[in-house]
Amino acid sequence: MIRIAAIGDVHLSKDTGGRFRPALRTLDEHADALLLAGDLTRHGTVEEAKVVAAEFGSLSVPVVAVLGNHDYHSNRSAEVTEVLADAGISVLEGQSAIVPVDGRKVGIAGVKGFGGGFAGKCASAFGEPEIKAFVEHTEVAAAKLRGALEAMDCDVRIALTHYSPVSDTLRGEPPEIYPFLGCYQLGEAIDSCDTALAIHGHAHYGTEQGFTPGGVRVRNVAHPIIRAAYAIYCIE
Amino acid sequence: MTGDHSTGAPQYQVAAVRRALAEDERTAEQGIKVTVRGDTILLSGDVECARRRDEIAEVVHEVVPAMRIYNDIKVTEAGEPTGREEFR
Ligand SMILES: [Fe+2]
Ligand SMILES: [Fe+2]
Repeated sequence: MIRIAAIGDVHLSKDTGGRFRPALRTLDEHADALLLAGDLTRHGTVEEAKVVAAEFGSLSVPVVAVLGNHDYHSNRSAEVTEVLADAGISVLEGQSAIVPVDGRKVGIAGVKGFGGGFAGKCASAFGEPEIKAFVEHTEVAAAKLRGALEAMDCDVRIALTHYSPVSDTLRGEPPEIYPFLGCYQLGEAIDSCDTALAIHGHAHYGTEQGFTPGGVRVRNVAHPIIRAAYAIYCIE
Repeated sequence: MTGDHSTGAPQYQVAAVRRALAEDERTAEQGIKVTVRGDTILLSGDVECARRRDEIAEVVHEVVPAMRIYNDIKVTEAGEPTGREEFR
C-alpha cells in the first residue's frame, strides 16, 4: 500500500513557525511521502520561506511541493523555491518527482495551476489583452501538468496542484468565485494520463472529496478543511 | 481602499472589508467570511494563530470604525490526523 500524506494552505510566517512540527515527528509511521499543495507562506517572502523550510525540511519521508498564489505575492518565487530546495523539499512547477515505495515507483507531477473556471462557465481568450493573458496563464499551466504527467516513468501517477482541477471540491465556496479557484483544463490534463489521485489546495471553504469528469479521485487538502497537520490517502 | 465605510449599502461594506483583508499586508487573508447585519459586522472562518485573528479585527475596525464587530474566527488545529482514507 502507498500512503500519501498531504496538506496545503499552511500560510506560514514567523508568528506560526513550529505549529506543524510536533505532529510531523511521527510522519514516517503514517506515510511514505508528504505533498504540500501550495500557499505555504503568507506573503511569499524569503523570510517566510525559511519558516516553511524549518517546518517541513529534514523530515523522515520525501517532501514534494508546489507553490500557491500567496507564495508569488512578493515576486520572489524563484528565491522561495531555492530556500525550500536547500531544505530538501522538491518544488515542482511543470516537473515531477519519483518516490519509490515497496518496490513501486510513485510519480508526482506538480504545477501551481491557475483560475479560469469550469466547463461551460469559463473565461475565453477573446477581446482585451488582459483577459487573453489570464487565459494564456491557465493554458500554459495545464500544458505543463500534462507534459509532466506524460513524461513520468512510474507505476502510480499523482497530480499535485494549488488551484483546483474540478468544481466538486469547491462546494462551500460562493459559485461566483469558482473562476478564481481553478480551471477545467487541469482536470483535462489529469484525465488524459491515467492518474490515480489529484491533490490540490486553495479553496479554504470547499470540500475534501471530488472526482474529475474522467473519474479520477480529487482531494482538496486546504488546511481549514483537513483540520489536522496533514491528511492521509492510501492507494492499493 | 482607505476611508470610513461605516455607512452605506451593506454590499459595499462587505466588499470594502473583504478587499482590505486580502490587500492589507498585515492580514493578507482571502478566506474570511464577512457578513453585515445592521450596524454589526460578523467575521468567521479559520486562521493559523490567535494573533492573526486579532490583526483581522484591527484592520476591519479601521475600515468600518463605527460598526460593532463579532469576531468568530477560529484557529485551525494542526495535530496528528486521527484517521486515514483507503482507496479500493
Ligand atoms: Fe490559501
Ligand atoms: Fe491560494
